[in-house]
Amino acid sequence: MTFPLYILFFLYGFFLLLWTIFSLIALYHMFKFGFKTFTTLFSMLVYLLVSFAIFYVSSYYLMGVDWTLNVSILKNFIN
Amino acid sequence: MLSIYRLPDHLPGEKVIKIIRKDFFVLFKKIVLFVILGGLPFLFFFVTNYSSTLNIGEGLIAYPLTIIFLSSYYLFLWLFFFFSFIDYYLDVWIITNERIIDIKQEGFFARTIAELRLYRLQDVTSEVKGIFSTLLGYGNVYAQTAGEKQRFFFKDVPRPEKIRDLLIKISEDSRKLHKGEEMT
Repeated sequence: MTFPLYILFFLYGFFLLLWTIFSLIALYHMFKFGFKTFTTLFSMLVYLLVSFAIFYVSSYYLMGVDWTLNVSILKNFIN
Repeated sequence: MLSIYRLPDHLPGEKVIKIIRKDFFVLFKKIVLFVILGGLPFLFFFVTNYSSTLNIGEGLIAYPLTIIFLSSYYLFLWLFFFFSFIDYYLDVWIITNERIIDIKQEGFFARTIAELRLYRLQDVTSEVKGIFSTLLGYGNVYAQTAGEKQRFFFKDVPRPEKIRDLLIKISEDSRKLHKGEEMT
């Protein structure tokens, strides 16, 4: 069975979309119901910063991947 | 955002005395759990790469798949940790000179706010049960009232005996101020 590698990229995009929706919901709740204190804003900032760090590291490792390749399952899975 | 200077249905002359959240140990347990879950992929790769000739993550599909899996795993782990933090942080008890406000975030898009006028407070009980509770000084406080919500429950709060003493004292002060309203 052969498929293009970018299918995995779309799958990843779908997970990112879900993650973004839930993150927005979480941030909305903190913003609306949290007290107007340093802790509330700081925790939101830390969440965003760590999230961007995970994105950055992921994109660094994914940048070198040739997504246009066609791959066969089982043949190229293990080196 | 909420302000402690502008509480829901703010009463005239009302002042915030204390804002209470669950003891930090409740959040600490969640932090430990998420740190363990965060370390699991490292443990898995350590075990597989050092104990066999199988090099997971180096095939044409395996490499991007591994990166995508790890990225999604850590993003969702971090998200769920933030959910846990929100659950801890948005549950709060506010003690003022007039009332106790119990704000409970019950999941997303579900929030309960209950309040108890201090002059209606009849009985306060503190409870410390368990090894960690005893060593770290956190426990439960029950505030008994004659109102519709008969019992206010402060769960896993720090220094429950001090909270109990505080509630007894300020409820007595409130009763002196609101003589005659107790019976209504």
